[in-house]
Formats: sequence, C-alpha cells, structure tokens
Amino acid sequence: MKLQTQKTDKNFDAARHVCGRSQFLDDLTPPEGTLYAVVFYARAAYGHIKRLNTSPALACKGVVAVLTAEDILQRGGENQIGGIIPDEPLLAEHDVHFWGQPVAVVVATSAVLAREATQYIECEVEPLPVITDPREAAAQGELIMPPRTMECGNVDAVWAACDVVVEGTAENGGQEHLYLETQGALAIPTEGGGVKIISSTQGPTAVQRAAAKVLGLPMHLIEVDVLRLGGGFGGKEDQATPWAVMAALAALKLNRPVKLVLPRQEDMRMTGKRHPYSSDFKIGLTKDGKILALEVSFYQDAGAAADLSPAVLDRTLFHCVNSYYIPNVRATGYSCRTNVPPNTAFRGFGGPQGMFLVEAAIYRAAEALGVDASAIQAKNLLQEGDTFPYGQVTERCNARRTWNDAEKAFDVAGIYQKAHEFNASNKWHKKGVAVMPICFGISFTNTMMNQASALVHVYSDGSVSVSTGAVEMGQGVNTKIAQTAMTIFSLPPHRVKVQTTNTSRAANTSPTAASAGADLNGKATELACEEILKRLLLTAREELNAQEHDSIELREEFVHHNGAKTALSWNNLIQAAFFKRVKLSEQAQYATPRIHFDKTTMKGHPFAYHVYGTAIIEATIDCLRGTYTIDNVQAVHDFGQSFNRVVDLGQAEGAIAQGIGWMTMEEVIYSKEGRLLTDALSTYKVPDMHSTPRMDVRFLEHSMNPMGIMNSKAVGEPPFMYGIGAYFALMNAIKAFRMGTGQIAIKAPMSPERVLMALYAPLHEPQLTEISHEA
Amino acid sequence: MNVPITVTINGTAYTRDVEPRQLLVHFLRETLNLTGTHIGCDTSSCGACTIMLNGQTVKSCTLLAAQADGAEIMTVEGLATDGKLHPIQEGFWQEHGLQCGFCTPGMMMAGVQILKNNPNPTEEEIRHGLEGNFCRCTGYHNIVKSIQYAAKKSAAM
Repeated sequence: MKLQTQKTDKNFDAARHVCGRSQFLDDLTPPEGTLYAVVFYARAAYGHIKRLNTSPALACKGVVAVLTAEDILQRGGENQIGGIIPDEPLLAEHDVHFWGQPVAVVVATSAVLAREATQYIECEVEPLPVITDPREAAAQGELIMPPRTMECGNVDAVWAACDVVVEGTAENGGQEHLYLETQGALAIPTEGGGVKIISSTQGPTAVQRAAAKVLGLPMHLIEVDVLRLGGGFGGKEDQATPWAVMAALAALKLNRPVKLVLPRQEDMRMTGKRHPYSSDFKIGLTKDGKILALEVSFYQDAGAAADLSPAVLDRTLFHCVNSYYIPNVRATGYSCRTNVPPNTAFRGFGGPQGMFLVEAAIYRAAEALGVDASAIQAKNLLQEGDTFPYGQVTERCNARRTWNDAEKAFDVAGIYQKAHEFNASNKWHKKGVAVMPICFGISFTNTMMNQASALVHVYSDGSVSVSTGAVEMGQGVNTKIAQTAMTIFSLPPHRVKVQTTNTSRAANTSPTAASAGADLNGKATELACEEILKRLLLTAREELNAQEHDSIELREEFVHHNGAKTALSWNNLIQAAFFKRVKLSEQAQYATPRIHFDKTTMKGHPFAYHVYGTAIIEATIDCLRGTYTIDNVQAVHDFGQSFNRVVDLGQAEGAIAQGIGWMTMEEVIYSKEGRLLTDALSTYKVPDMHSTPRMDVRFLEHSMNPMGIMNSKAVGEPPFMYGIGAYFALMNAIKAFRMGTGQIAIKAPMSPERVLMALYAPLHEPQLTEISHEA
Repeated sequence: MNVPITVTINGTAYTRDVEPRQLLVHFLRETLNLTGTHIGCDTSSCGACTIMLNGQTVKSCTLLAAQADGAEIMTVEGLATDGKLHPIQEGFWQEHGLQCGFCTPGMMMAGVQILKNNPNPTEEEIRHGLEGNFCRCTGYHNIVKSIQYAAKKSAAM
C-alpha cells in the first residue's frame, strides 16, 4: 500500500513539556497513605555478610518496616531478578558482590525519615579479595558464561599471505547513563493480592516478570504501567526492575502504596553502566591496504552479575568488523565477572566496543603502512552482496554511498589539507581529523524478542486510542506511532492518542531498546489499523451504495468515492459502523520476518536490515594544557525514508554528543576496593553547552527500506558510534604534535589528562603511566 | 519546629508552615504540587530545578524553603499568561529544543534569564548562560536555537 505519510515536525509531547505539565513518575500525586522506601546498600565490594541487624532502623521515627531477603522467602517468592542467567538476588542474602549492592529496604512515612533510618542498620561484611579488572577476572576463571567465538574464513591460514600483520591492544571505559530522571517506581496494592506498579522502565514486561517471580504471584496479578521516561538510554531496560520490585514487595507486605525514587548519588552507585572492555587484536593486510584477516579477543567487564552482558557481548562480536568486508575473522568474547555493579545495556549495546576495536586495529595498521587510516577504511568498505562474519549478506548496502556522498558534500580532502596547513603553522595547537563510517544491524540479536503488539480502538466519537509495548523516553516513538495511525486513517493529530505502556493492554512486550521500538510497535500499529480500515471501507461502501469496483478511500476525515469527496465524514462513518455492530477495535502482532540466528554456529540472518553512515570529525588540542575542542562533526547518515526529520535529526545529534562524551570526557572510575569514585555530577563530567561540536547531519538520498516502518530506518543507536571518530581525531592531533615519534596507547576515554600525558610521554614508550586512584 | 513562610509563586501568595530543613524544590513539588520543576542531580549541577526568585534564576535544590520567605517566585507553570505561551516556550516547541522533556523547564527558566540580561544575545552568550544546565538527549544546538527564536519573537512583540 502506498501512502502519503502524515507529516509533522513536532514531538506530540512538546506542548506539555514546555508547560511543565508532562508527568514523570515522581510528578504523580501519590495516593493517600503512600509510604516511602529507601534502599540500604553494601559498603563492601565482595565478602560474606557476617551479621545484619535491622532492628535499630525499625525503631526510628516514622519507620514502618525494614525488608530483607527474608521477607521474600517468607511469602514464598524467589529472591532472583537475573533476566538471562539467574545469578542476581534482589536483596543480598549471604554475600555481597559489589559496593552498592542492595541489602535492605527501609519503609517510612517520608523519604527523609526512611533515609535517616538506613544509617542505623548494622551490616558487617567479612571482606574477600576484590576484582575490578576484567583480564584479572578471566585469569582467575571468573567468567559469566563460556567464551563465545564468531568465525569466518580461515584466519590461521591467511597470516602468511599478508604483507603486514599488526598486533595490539585497545581499551575503552564505561559510561554512566545519566538519564536526567533517576530510577523510580510507585507500587499500589490491588484487590486479590495483586499490585499495580507505575515504573520508569524501558521494559514493563521485565518488571512484571521479575515481580511475579519475587512475589510468588502469577503475572496476571501484576499490572505495570509506564507513562514516559526522563531518558533511558538502555539504563532502564533491565535495571529499572529492582526498584519496582522492591516497592511492590513493600506494598504487598504493608498493604499500602509505596514509592521508591533513587537520589542521583544512590542511582550512580547502585546501577551498572556501559561495559568497559580490554581487547587484543591482530590484523593482516596487503601492502596496498586490503584487510585479509582480523583476530580479536574481547575481555568484557560484566560486573558482579550477568544482567544483559551475554547479549551485549554478542553484539560486540557482530559489529567487530564495523562497515568493512573482512573475509577471515575470528572474534572471541569473554564476559568477565568483577566486583562492580552489573554493567548493562547502553545505546549501541556492545556495538560501540566492537567498532572501537576494529578502528583501533585499522589505526595501527595505517601507522605500519605509513598512510592515514581513512585510506584503509575506504578500501575495505562493504559492498552489495558481501557476507558478514555471521553469514548475513548485505542488501541495499549503503556503506560506500554514504562515504562517497560525505567526501563530496563536505570536501574531505580540503578538511585534511586545512588541518595539515594549520599544523604546519602552529606549534602549540594541533588539529586532527578522522573519518568514521558506521554499520549497525537492526533487530534484537535474540530473534524471539523481535515481536510487538498493538491494540487500537476507534471510539464511537471518532477518537482513536493506540496502545503498544513501546515506551516513550524522548526518542519520539509515540509521535511516530501516532503518525502511523494518522496516516492510515487520514486523521489530524488531535484524533489519535497513544496511551501509556501498560502490561494489561500489551502483553509479553520486548523492552523498548535496540533502536527497534518504532519499527516493531509501529508495524504492529500499522497491521491493526489496516484491519479496522478494511472494515470501515466496507461500511462506507454500503453507506454510499457504491459498486464493487468503485474506489473508496479516507481523506482528511471524509470518505472519498471514486476520487470525489462525499458527505460521509469520519464521525458519521464511525457512527454508522458502530450502529451496524462492526468491530471498531483490533489487536495485532508484528514479528520481524526473515530473521534467524543459530547460537551454536553463530551464523544466520540476525538483522532485518543495517543502518549505514559516514562522519568526518575534526578536533583541536591545546598542546600546553591537554585541553581540546571537538570542532565539527559532519555526516551523511542513512535514515531510510525518514517520516519525521526533526525527531530523527534530534536523535542523531543527541547520539553523536553522547558518543563523543563516551570517548572523551566521561570517565567512570572505581577505586581498587571497588567503590565508585565518580558518583556525582561534580566528579562525572557529561557533555555540556560548550563541549558539543558544530554538527551537520545530512540525510542520505534515495534510501528505501521496506523492513522499517514507513520505509524509514531505526535511528536511536547508530549515530552514537560517530563519536568514535572523535577519539581518533584526537589521536591524530597528538600525533601531529609528536611528529610521529613513539606510539600512543589506545585507551579511551581520551580525557584532557590522557591527552597531556600522551603529548609528553617518553619517545618509543608505548604504554602510558597509569593513573592511580585511591578511595 | 516548623516555621511559617509566605511566598508569592506565579502571582499567587502561599502561606505555609515548613520544616526548617525542607528544600525549596521539595516545597514547590510536594507541598504545592508544582511538579513542573524537576529534580535531576540533588547537587546543583544539572539545573533541572532552575526557577526565578526575585527576578534571578536560582537552583531550587540549593535553597531552603525558609530562605524564600517573602520572595516572588516564578516557575515553569507561570511562564504562560492567559493561556498564551511565553516566547521561550514557543521557541522550545518550534525548534524542537527538547526530547524527553525532563531538563526543559530548567532550561527555559535559564533562557528567560539570558533574555532578561540581554534581549539580543549572541550564540556565545546563550551558551554561557546555559552552562549550569545539562541535557542528556539533545546535542544542545536546538536549545540554543530555541532561545534565539524567543529573542526574535520577543523583539517583534
């Protein structure tokens, strides 16, 4: 069906946002009698709990209850919230495994009183040796799961045929999500022993499932409702669950509503982040820069429990060739158990780490060949019909198109030339340029998660209600879903309302993640609306006594007969259908077609499609201070046929800013004792007004994508990885200052202090002195 | 022992007894149910709680409610008058200066201050004026454009 997409350049929430009237979890007026919960957490990163005495807290003013693991067992529940592997208790029982691990929940008449009482809880932990380094964990056999390997061609046989073989290591740091709205939930007991949980989660079903397990209840007694999130970025995919379940546990024990909202510092201390990786690579090329082989080992810092780490590691393997065709690859991933909070989903979901590594390998290979990395990048870009290491063949491959368009649109050769001239005439400021192509697969790599449902009602007054599993967190998914319904019914915005995400209206939902929220839920909405439309057109045909071959369509709230507007309005049509007892509701499910993946062979067709793009990033460093600016990011990005350019461009710009943050200023630091040192905005720096570069993101022309909603492409994650280019632009600027002497270790983030040390590191000294952090 | 305070917020006078340690942001949100002012970091870093107090922007998580006794306060809820949006609100809407919307009220209040200091600010002056506000969703550029839009709109009024 060919449709003119309903255009809107507004996020539908904007009107409420600018008036301060959009409600976030903490803005809801709590029901009468609501109690407030505060979490008591471990102050040791690893050890046995020798003694836990909560009674002094219980004696405090206002305190109604103090809950521990015992309360879960008493009601016959299971103290377990691990989603992929059951290795994570809701509340610590015998041991603690990370500094900040929840141990008890204090419930009081106010949050202030509950917080005061937590300091009287006595918890003695007999300490055990703490591991904060993934390679050390691997050496001690502390793996979350057996290593995983993805392989194609025959790496071992090819090294001898290579003109150049380069080996090295690369490391990347973690990243705090810093959604501006912290984690939180409000749980309200319902009749029959159930509970309604209003949660700030990307995964309402994840909350429902975990609550059912911990509370020992069937899922139908738990209703989870999500209005909107003040940012998620993956941090609320699995890790919104504990707080929601704790609130529900307390609500059912006390038969009172219970609210739990984390203060920022507790949120930063207790929740996991993007995974740091330490990785090895070996890359083999011909002398003219054709990559023949890549062998990589990833040591992923999973933290103290599996959480989503296995799936994150899978995506690292999928994306360790980025936008390049490499015929022989062996990529092995180790998910390493350490004593930091379980690391989790974060925009890109392991992809950025894989892509950072292959870019590091290419960077080193370029040094060995005496060329700029962009020469190797350009030579190896994917083409139509190339096969990825996981067996999928490219279709509508736009890698070279985005590269070529960017080269032309932004005069890349001129940018390099200008930087060269600048560097020749400036001693204490140096410029660096890097090109960053990206290729990102769209679909959950766990095939079964690629399904969504929509429930559409047309009410008798002609207003339309849409419920799906998608969670709005600023990415504009509700706007896109509303646009889908508006397009099919040809209605203006005020006719369509996208409802809260609620497990009673959309069951068994996948989290809103993997950039796939609009595709999956939008397609389900499309299916449901089209079914209703079919019935409405039949009714219209009867009302107009139209012939079988006449064309009947809806246009701008009126029925059109053979192209001519009739007197039958949308409202009258709905009334007529209602009186004729025509079904005005529809529930539909969408399951992404064609995709499959065999986890034993690591082969298949895991992605519905790929998103491509190419960015050019420029940076300038101050060689006396180590400070720098990322000056400019220019990109040609593959949005497919964007049907909301304003929303999509906003996503791209935000992702680029966040990607640069990860690669430059955002540094998560734990002490050797496993305590998070960067646990406030005073010590953890995110991009501000001054640190985002100029951006010029262009839409790749003529990119069709029938696998995406309305021919568009998913946009949430892919542009994040342009940020990797900022790292290598800084490397090039440092190199310009050092005139090519010595080799700089590849270790992100490239904070100003690292830049300064790299500028003046001794010649021919590949390793930087490590910064020591004491608690 | 609670202390009595009187504050005028968005043109309405409120007299309440407050706990001496209560933060102004909690007073606004919990006592008066003015929840448009958000709490992002608790430590005066993120600016989500920015309001106008006696004509100057302040971070309401850094003041005690008791300190605001006698003050004139404007919050995001007071920006629109007679159902008509303030130019700054129009700007954030028109220029897509928001995504999740959580930082938006604080950003807009900071924007009001910028335009009060200088009705025709340069881009650099706008960025300087927004240094105390974080947004994690956008790349900030549309926020700058939103304030430029408001400046133009105000000049035309």
